[in-house]
Amino acid sequence: MRIYTESSEETLRARKLLKEWTGDGALTQEQYQSLEPGTASNLRTTNIFLRLVLFFFTVVAVAAAAGLFFTVFLSRPSQQTSGIFLLLFAAVSYAVAEIAVAKGRLYRYGIEEALAVCSVAFLCVGLGALFTADAPPSLREIQLVVSAAGTMASLWIWYRFNLWYAFPAAMIFAIFLPGCWTASDSAQHVVIAVLYAAGLICIASIRSCHRFDYLEDAYSLSEAFLWLGIYLTFNLKISEFSLLSLWSPTRFTSEPASPFYWTTWVLIWCLPPLILTRGIRRKDRFVLAVGAITAVLTLVTNKPYLGWQRHTWDPMLLGVALTGVALSLRRWLARGPGGVRHGFTAAHLSGKDKHAMSVGSAVLGLVTPQSITPPPQATNPEHRFGGGGSGGGGADF
Amino acid sequence: MNIVARLELWKEQGAISAQQEAHLASLSRGEPFSLSLELNFLLYAGVLAFVAGLGWTISTWSQQIGDVLVLTILTIILAASFWYCFSRAPAWSAAETTAPTPIFDYILYLGSLVWCVELAYLENRLHVLSGQWDLYLLATALLFFFLAYRFDNRFVLSLALSSLAGWFGLTISHWPSHQDATYRQYALLYCLVVGATGAVLQRLELKSHFLNTYLNVAANVLFWAVLSGVFDSQDDGLWFVGLLIACGASLAWGLKRRQFAFVAYAAVYGYVGVSYMLLRNANDFTLILTYFVFTAIAMVVMLVQIARRFGRPE
Repeated sequence: MRIYTESSEETLRARKLLKEWTGDGALTQEQYQSLEPGTASNLRTTNIFLRLVLFFFTVVAVAAAAGLFFTVFLSRPSQQTSGIFLLLFAAVSYAVAEIAVAKGRLYRYGIEEALAVCSVAFLCVGLGALFTADAPPSLREIQLVVSAAGTMASLWIWYRFNLWYAFPAAMIFAIFLPGCWTASDSAQHVVIAVLYAAGLICIASIRSCHRFDYLEDAYSLSEAFLWLGIYLTFNLKISEFSLLSLWSPTRFTSEPASPFYWTTWVLIWCLPPLILTRGIRRKDRFVLAVGAITAVLTLVTNKPYLGWQRHTWDPMLLGVALTGVALSLRRWLARGPGGVRHGFTAAHLSGKDKHAMSVGSAVLGLVTPQSITPPPQATNPEHRFGGGGSGGGGADF
Repeated sequence: MNIVARLELWKEQGAISAQQEAHLASLSRGEPFSLSLELNFLLYAGVLAFVAGLGWTISTWSQQIGDVLVLTILTIILAASFWYCFSRAPAWSAAETTAPTPIFDYILYLGSLVWCVELAYLENRLHVLSGQWDLYLLATALLFFFLAYRFDNRFVLSLALSSLAGWFGLTISHWPSHQDATYRQYALLYCLVVGATGAVLQRLELKSHFLNTYLNVAANVLFWAVLSGVFDSQDDGLWFVGLLIACGASLAWGLKRRQFAFVAYAAVYGYVGVSYMLLRNANDFTLILTYFVFTAIAMVVMLVQIARRFGRPE
């Protein structure tokens, strides 16, 4: 069912690890030279930059081709005709993606990914157009069909091509499903959480068979997304701004007195420890990261949940808490025998981590220019101190 | 065959020793599991949240707290941070060095960000330089360059480059007219300064690993400036020629040095600029779509050829 064979994927993984280990000094250059031919694959791969650019230009070509077809061959088509042709485009895009892999042996090459993504987009827009043509159009029915098709198609792309980002896309499509079944906002939140929880149970049971193989990371990432989805669904202070709220005809208004509201408050405190425990027990980096993110989000949204007033020094306390946790954890781990406790260490083990940090720190320094660049109107001597909106870095006074 | 089985095979073939096999197999199984990345991210988020809260608190409560207390607190944090960095840092080396302690980089971030808060406070409250923000930015940029080179820190180097960009921007904000054109010229000057500085320092082997940061910043600012010139219809194609030269240089550099980010810059910025020039007077929607179909396919074909010849995974 998967488009790439297990041996191809494992070979590519071995090649990547071989390079990483040689870079870290765990293997000598001579060992690398002797082992490298054994990890040769018939799949065509490229680097991240060319992959992104190829993805971009493929999307441009496919979208323009679809637009050109409609302009040249169909003058003022009906909704139904447009829908049918868009579905045909979806089928063609998907078929070309399959051919690109089967004949061109493309692997994470940008082209086949863009074609697969375009097929999902054409499918959803086509179904939307097709169903809008029926009189009288029911928004809920269209929503149900489009979101169900989008969910299924994204899951298929995720499974078939092993593209990680198709999984969160499927989760986003799933957000719109309960709107067709119930008008109650609380029920919609519960249904979405149940859908994600069902997905989580499936993923958790499947991934236990893939310990240490090439699918471990993919399932780990999917599980992390599902945990995050469940948390965000229950955190009403965040989901107020989510797609669910924007799409819903009746905007969710959090009623502090309702039992549902307080149940979600309890849940947002229970979920982070649960996720962190799961991440620690499985030594799962993505799940651990989601556990940490949800814990921070709980701390940040707790006051609005309880209706308490926020203070300007709250971020400082949060900063002190985060730093304190990081330092204590680092010190505790470092004091263990060999700097290891319960299988965890604070030491760098991989050059990949160092590289990620060095690139990350350079990018973070550039994307936060507001923190150091005062606004031009500050040249006015009459400018009064105060009224900083963001507080980011403190320069926005 | 998963990686653990493959390691076993390599050991049996004599390609790796038993110790190497045991070490690499344990790494593959996450034994021990390194939390280094997560802990560093927590520290970074902690410092950022702290400084954000500090800035917010000061901006809200400065009247009640009083200038003296605010400046005292900020100065104490600043002095403590820089004292820590200067007292713990090893002797300076022109080569790449590692931080002496795990929290060293974050203390340096804290000091750098608090410096910005304190300067902003000083000027906004006391008008020490009578609104001459450009001088503050220049001083900040120079300080950050010094700190980045002294402590081998890319984050502070990025802050320095951002401050310098701010200085170039603020300096010309005093110009009353033709701001777009003037901004463009200063952006080009900024690219020239940054690119030349990076190249000279690399040639002198002073923290040569910083070169990529310089070049990426310079390339992006250069392309934005040149593209904005191309979009300005008052110009007579000079900017377009400049764009083509920049794309050619970026492509050549990217392919020669296997820095594919520069190939991507050349492809995307070049495509946007050329498409604008060719289509700016086009009204026929069919023609426009035909153009996009054929040119996008041509770009894909060209990039595939580049990928086949040069673009192996990094």
